[in-house]
Amino acid sequence: MDELSVIRTALEQVGPRSRWLRVWRGFWQGLLAGAVVVVVALGLYKVVPVPWSLVQAGAALGLGLTVGSALIAGLRRVSLAQIACWVDDRLQLKERLSTALELADRPEAGDWRRLLIADAAQHAAGLDPRQLLPWGLPKVSRWALAVVAMCVGLGFVPPYRSAAYVQRQRQAALIRDTGRQLAEVVRQELRQRPPALPPTQKALEQVVELGDRLGRASLTQGEALRELSNLAQQLSQQARHLADQPAFKRLDPTGGEAGGGAGQSFEKLQQQIAALQKTLAGAAGQPDKLAKLQQQLQQARQGVAALQHSAGGPKVSADQLASGLTDAGQQLRDLGQTLAGLDEAIKALANNRADLALEHLDAALADLAKLRALAQSLQQLQQQAARLGKDLAEQLERGQVEAAIGTLRRMIDLLKAADLPPEQQQKLMDEVARAIAPGSQYGQVGQHLKQALQHLQQNQKPGAAQSLAAAAQELEELLRQMQDCQGLLAALEAVDRAQAAICSGKSWSQVQRSGRCAACGGLGCGRCKGRGWSHGGGTGPGVGTWADDPEGWMRWEQTGPVDNSGVQRPDLAPRGLTERPTDLNPNLMPDKVRGQFTPGSPMPSITLKGLGIKGQSTVEYEAAAAAAQAEAQSALNQDKVPRAYQQAVRQYFDDLNR
Amino acid sequence: MTTEERIQKFRQAWTDLRTEIGKVLVGQEAIVEGTLTAIFANGHVLLEGVPGLGKTLLVRTLGEALDLSFSRIQFTPDLMPSDILGTNLVIETPSGRREFQFQRGPIFAHLILADEINRATPKTQSALLEAMQEKQVTAGGEMRRLEEPFFVLATQNPIDQEGTYPLPEAQLDRFFFKLLVGYPTAAELTEVLNRTTERPPVRVNKVLDGPRLLELQQLVREVPVASHVKDYAVRLVLATHPNTPTAVPIASQYLRFGSSPRGAQTLILAGKVRALAQGRFNVSFEDIQAVALPALRHRLILNFEAEAEGITTDQIIQQVLQAVPRTAEPVAV
Repeated sequence: MDELSVIRTALEQVGPRSRWLRVWRGFWQGLLAGAVVVVVALGLYKVVPVPWSLVQAGAALGLGLTVGSALIAGLRRVSLAQIACWVDDRLQLKERLSTALELADRPEAGDWRRLLIADAAQHAAGLDPRQLLPWGLPKVSRWALAVVAMCVGLGFVPPYRSAAYVQRQRQAALIRDTGRQLAEVVRQELRQRPPALPPTQKALEQVVELGDRLGRASLTQGEALRELSNLAQQLSQQARHLADQPAFKRLDPTGGEAGGGAGQSFEKLQQQIAALQKTLAGAAGQPDKLAKLQQQLQQARQGVAALQHSAGGPKVSADQLASGLTDAGQQLRDLGQTLAGLDEAIKALANNRADLALEHLDAALADLAKLRALAQSLQQLQQQAARLGKDLAEQLERGQVEAAIGTLRRMIDLLKAADLPPEQQQKLMDEVARAIAPGSQYGQVGQHLKQALQHLQQNQKPGAAQSLAAAAQELEELLRQMQDCQGLLAALEAVDRAQAAICSGKSWSQVQRSGRCAACGGLGCGRCKGRGWSHGGGTGPGVGTWADDPEGWMRWEQTGPVDNSGVQRPDLAPRGLTERPTDLNPNLMPDKVRGQFTPGSPMPSITLKGLGIKGQSTVEYEAAAAAAQAEAQSALNQDKVPRAYQQAVRQYFDDLNR
Repeated sequence: MTTEERIQKFRQAWTDLRTEIGKVLVGQEAIVEGTLTAIFANGHVLLEGVPGLGKTLLVRTLGEALDLSFSRIQFTPDLMPSDILGTNLVIETPSGRREFQFQRGPIFAHLILADEINRATPKTQSALLEAMQEKQVTAGGEMRRLEEPFFVLATQNPIDQEGTYPLPEAQLDRFFFKLLVGYPTAAELTEVLNRTTERPPVRVNKVLDGPRLLELQQLVREVPVASHVKDYAVRLVLATHPNTPTAVPIASQYLRFGSSPRGAQTLILAGKVRALAQGRFNVSFEDIQAVALPALRHRLILNFEAEAEGITTDQIIQQVLQAVPRTAEPVAV
């Protein structure tokens, strides 16, 4: 290896080690810078109400600085000449290596080049990169660790926030939460009940939009309330506009439920009832009896199970059980039902096969449960049928629009049938004629029915069918409008709830639904008898009548002291006050004695003139307290103290004694 | 002769000269080294110090150690330029004719001792300008070359003394080094007493002649200098230029004029001599720093503020050396 190679090799060995040392140093420098950034951001966060994202950004920047600094230090290219300069400086080689490297590219330097390279090679030969660049923590690491420790310590310091700021934050969070809930509720409404009318759709979308805006907390409390109020007004107007039609007052929004769904007619219900009655025979309408029988069989089963576990037990028990089962079977037979499992169980008991009897009893119990379920279904269907109008007139009268539409369609089908018997046509005419009067309350429905009747009288079945179809269409239109109206009212309800939540500072779930009628949302409908408030709901204290308030006057709660000193109650004024002698102690001043109005809450105060005594007492405290306690005990014994306050009086004197 | 041999000869000559001068002159190592550096770099030296510190003795001893013609000029206020350079005299020839003949002055020697140069008037001081720079003399309209090697070793008293004329900047700039001769230490003074009052005068041997000195001067110029070292010298000089982007703050504050390019030349040449004297084949940053004071101190012109505050050029140079980094870009490996 020539002398120049010796120099180059030595310097090249220094290169990689110096690169890693640069990375190491760069890491610590970056860590220091990053930690300083984080400390500043964290400190700022602890003192000033800046968002937490600033600290996160600071942490990200700090991390970036640490990594970036190490990377930059590692990626920085250092030439051999620079390394030579550094080694010269570090080892006090008087620029031998750097000059030799420079002269190496200048052959014209001749002897000087040779001499210089030889001299430099001598010095480079003993170069040890490990000694030259020892590993260790750089000075900057101490500062970096100190700042990191400060950063960690600062993390445990609670941030200072003013009460006003905390309140604002709480409000903002509440607005956000309320907005999200509002948007979600109305979106759900849109999904479940898509509006038929474009204005309704638009109005509901506006509510969703406002909910989203609130959810982003882009509005202050005042703005949010203003927006909500405007929207509520708009929704209310729109709903009123829809509900202005008189037909709405007649509509029973739950009319469809009675028929078990749209288009389910009274006849179909009757068919179902008949089928069930046929199946149940004598058990129809006797679910209670079936329940008793079921209970009886359960007890018998428990007895059989006990018999099975106590092998060799008394024979009498098995006979009793068999007798009970026979009795149950007889009762079932009286109801027109038989349970095969029951008879088998009796036989098994007779053969002393308790296990087999248990099996058959289980089967019998399952059959009996089914029978009971059928009986209950029958009962429900009968109730539904009772609620559902029997014919078109009754359905229109009761506001059962969906059932009425079903009836109209059925009539149309009958009319379309070629062979409609005259008596049935007459029956149809009668039904239509009866429905004209109630139908006139539903817009054009009465008119269409009248036309249908005329057509029927003229035996023009297609014309009659067309008129009936028009009437059904009119009713469907009304139904759609009602559904839109309900959608609007649901949205209005949600907006009201949002307003209440933001106003009162309570969460969405804590705010009660308003007492508006669920059917009309306060617009007034047949269900709420035009009052706008549902049964059991109410307008709250101070509005409406006592009867409308479900909890009555008992609901009122006193949450703070009441000073009724300003209230003039001549009827309760103490008698003979003016007759008191004027030479009383001048220190006698009016004073307030606080009492407890309702147990558990602060007492209201009542002014009793002349009872307050100020100045030095001439009586020993213990004596006065003992006398007062004796008087109180006497009053308690004679029931002079109201019961509600007796406990308080006892506690008071117990405290005095302690 | 190979370069190694030439370098060896240089070192031998340097050592011999040190030895011979050391026989006569006690102490003043820096002054001796500075003077020798200037001699080998073919430069003139201005020695400044109060009387009696051995300035003249040093130059005289050097003249004896070098096998060169030596002349001493004692500068006085009435000294005329012609007294230095020479003059045309009317001479009667053997044939009886009268003609002008140039009578050479003391400047026509290899080694000139300009003793107490600041005692002469500026006019007389200026007589040396051409001789020092161009190594020639113009008298009576005729230009005459001075024989090489040619050195002017001037001494001067501190300028605040009575009857002194400060040297003009142009003249100062022509001096390679300005060396400040200080008082000897106690030990040195004792040795001076021993040598001068107890022993007979020592004879100084001639160790170097003119042609060999010229060869060695040529050798000095061949010493390689790395580009970053040259760059350092340049940046040092530029840092003394007041009110320029490269100036250090103290230069802008206290200097009226900075160093001329001769300052940078001096730094490099002197650095080369120092490297060779120390047995190296290249110039280092340390060489440049070591010669910065004698090379630059007389090339910086202080402003009124500096003079009022008693700031010296040496202080400014020290500050410049601290402020200017060795490399233009920091070397962090």
